[in-house]
Amino acid sequence: MRVFSIARLVVMIGFCGFVLWSLSTGPAQAQSSSSVRPPNAAATTAATPTDGTVPGQVTGNRSDADLWRGINHGTVGKVTIPDQKSALMINRYGEDWRLLRMDNLILWGGVLMGISLLGVLGFAIVYGKFKLHGPRTGRVIPRFSQAERWVHWFVACLFILLGLTGLVILFGRFLLKPIFGAEGLGAIANASLQAHNLLGPIFIVALAFMLVIFLKDNVFQKGDFVWALKGGFFSKHHPPSWKYNLGEKSWYWLLAFAGGGLALSGVFLIFPTLLDDVQGMQLSQIAHAVAAVVLIAASIGHIYLGIWGVEGALDSMTLGYVDETWGLEHHRWWAEQEIKKEHVVEGAPDAVLAAKKAESA
Amino acid sequence: MTFLEIVEGPLWYLGASVFVIGALWKIVGILLLGRKADLSIPRASASVGAIKAQFLHFVPHGGFTFRTIYHLVAGYMFHIGLFVLLLFAAPHVTFAQNNILSIDWPSLPYWGFVVAAQFAFAGLILLWVRRISDPVMIKISDRDDHVGTWLTFLVMLTGCMALQEANETLRATHMLLVDLWLIYFPFSRLMHAVTFMFSRGYTGAFFGRRGIVP
Repeated sequence: MRVFSIARLVVMIGFCGFVLWSLSTGPAQAQSSSSVRPPNAAATTAATPTDGTVPGQVTGNRSDADLWRGINHGTVGKVTIPDQKSALMINRYGEDWRLLRMDNLILWGGVLMGISLLGVLGFAIVYGKFKLHGPRTGRVIPRFSQAERWVHWFVACLFILLGLTGLVILFGRFLLKPIFGAEGLGAIANASLQAHNLLGPIFIVALAFMLVIFLKDNVFQKGDFVWALKGGFFSKHHPPSWKYNLGEKSWYWLLAFAGGGLALSGVFLIFPTLLDDVQGMQLSQIAHAVAAVVLIAASIGHIYLGIWGVEGALDSMTLGYVDETWGLEHHRWWAEQEIKKEHVVEGAPDAVLAAKKAESA
Repeated sequence: MTFLEIVEGPLWYLGASVFVIGALWKIVGILLLGRKADLSIPRASASVGAIKAQFLHFVPHGGFTFRTIYHLVAGYMFHIGLFVLLLFAAPHVTFAQNNILSIDWPSLPYWGFVVAAQFAFAGLILLWVRRISDPVMIKISDRDDHVGTWLTFLVMLTGCMALQEANETLRATHMLLVDLWLIYFPFSRLMHAVTFMFSRGYTGAFFGRRGIVP
C-alpha cells in the first residue's frame, strides 16, 4: 500500500513536471518553426520599445521620432559637401510660404482691390465728373513734353499687360479654374507667365526712365499739405497746388518705391540663380505680389481720375497742353508761374509748337 | 478635324492665298496706274536714282534726324525684332519646313528669341504710343492704323504665350490670328511692307532724273 502511494506521488510529480516543461518550451519550439516571428531572443529580451528602439532586428528598427520631428521642423544637420544648404532636408518655410501665398495674399489682395474699385465707384457716384467751372479761354499752357507723354503711355501699356497677366497668375486658381477647368487654367496661366516674363524686363527699364523724367516736379514742397488740408480731391473747388498736387506726388513716390520693389523682386524671380536661396525666392514672390496688388489698387484711382474723373486731364497727357482755365482751377500755383514766364500760348497749334520748342531747347 | 487642324490646314491655306493674291493684285494695280510722261530734260539716270533711294531712305536725311529719332529707333526695333522672330524662331522654322519649304535653316536659341521679342514688343508699343500722344499723329491716324497695330501685337503676344507649346489651344489661337492677319494684310496699310519699295523707287526716279540725290 505504502509502495503504491509512493508510486502515485512520483507519477503525479512527473506529470506536473511535464506540464510545466510543456508550458515553458512548447510555444518557443512552435515559433522557431515559423519564419514570420522574431527570434526568441528578441521576444524575450525586448518586449517593449526602449529609448527609441523597436523590437526586432530588421532594417529601420529605430523609430528615431525626435530625429524625424527635428527634420520636419527644419533642423539643419551637417554635411561634408560644399553645398551647405543640403544640410536642410525639409524647408518648413515652404509650407508657411504656401499658406501665406494661397490664403492671406489672395484674401487680402482681393479685399484691397475690391476696396479700391468700390471706393472709385463711390467717389464717381458722389462727386461725379470734375468739370471746369469757368469757360475755356482758348489759351493753353504746355503741361507734358512729348518725351514725358511717350514714356508715360509706354509704361502704362506695359503696366496694364503685366497687371492682367500677373492677376491671372495670382488669382487664376480661384477665378478662372471654376470657368475653364484645371487644364484650361493651366494653359492660360502658362501663357500669362510667358508674356509676363517677356515684358517684365522692358517695364523695368521704362519705369526707371519715367521716374527720372518725372522726378523734378514730384519732390515734396511747401504748400503740398495745404492742398490736402483744404480737402484735396474731396473739395468742390480744387485747392491750389503746384504742377502736381499731394495726391499725384504720393502716386509718384508709391510708384517709385513699390515699383522699385516690384522690379527688384521681379529680377530675382526671372533669374533665381542670383539669390541661390529658396527663402529668398519665397520672399521675392511675396514682395512681388504685395507690391503689384498695392500698385494695381492705387492705379485704379489714377486711371479713373486721368481718363474720366477730371475734365481736360486726358488732354494734358495726349496733346501735351491744358487750357489756361484748367491750369488755374486745378494747379493754380503752377499755372500762375507758367503765365508769369509767358509760357501760355494762343490756341492748340501754337501749344504744340511751344511744346516741341521747349523740348528741343 | 480639331480647331488646330482647321487653323493650320484650310484656314491657313485660305489666309496665305488671300495674302499672296491680294498683294499681287495691289502691286499690279499700282504698276498699271503708270505715271505721267516726265518732260524734264534728264540730267542723270532715273533708274540709278530709284535704286539709290531704296537704300538711302533707310536712314533719315541729316536735317531730320532729331525730329525722327523716336520713330526711327522704335521702327527699327520693331521691324528687326519682328523679322528675326518670323524667320528664326524655332517653331516658325519647323512650320516653314513642314508647310512651305522643305529646306532647313538654323533657329534662334531661347535667349535669342526672348531678346528679339522684347525688341519687337517695345518697338511696336512705342510706335503705337506715338499715335495716341502726338497731336498730329492723333489726327492723321485712323481705324486701319490701330487695327493693323493691334492685330500685329496680338499675333506676337499669342506667339510668345504659346512658346512653350504646353497647350494646343494656345498654338491654335496664335495660328488663327496669323490667318486673320494674312487676310487683313492686302486690304490695309500693312501693305507698306511691300509697297515701300515702289514708293521709294518712284521718288528716287523722279529726283534721280533731275540729278538730285533722292
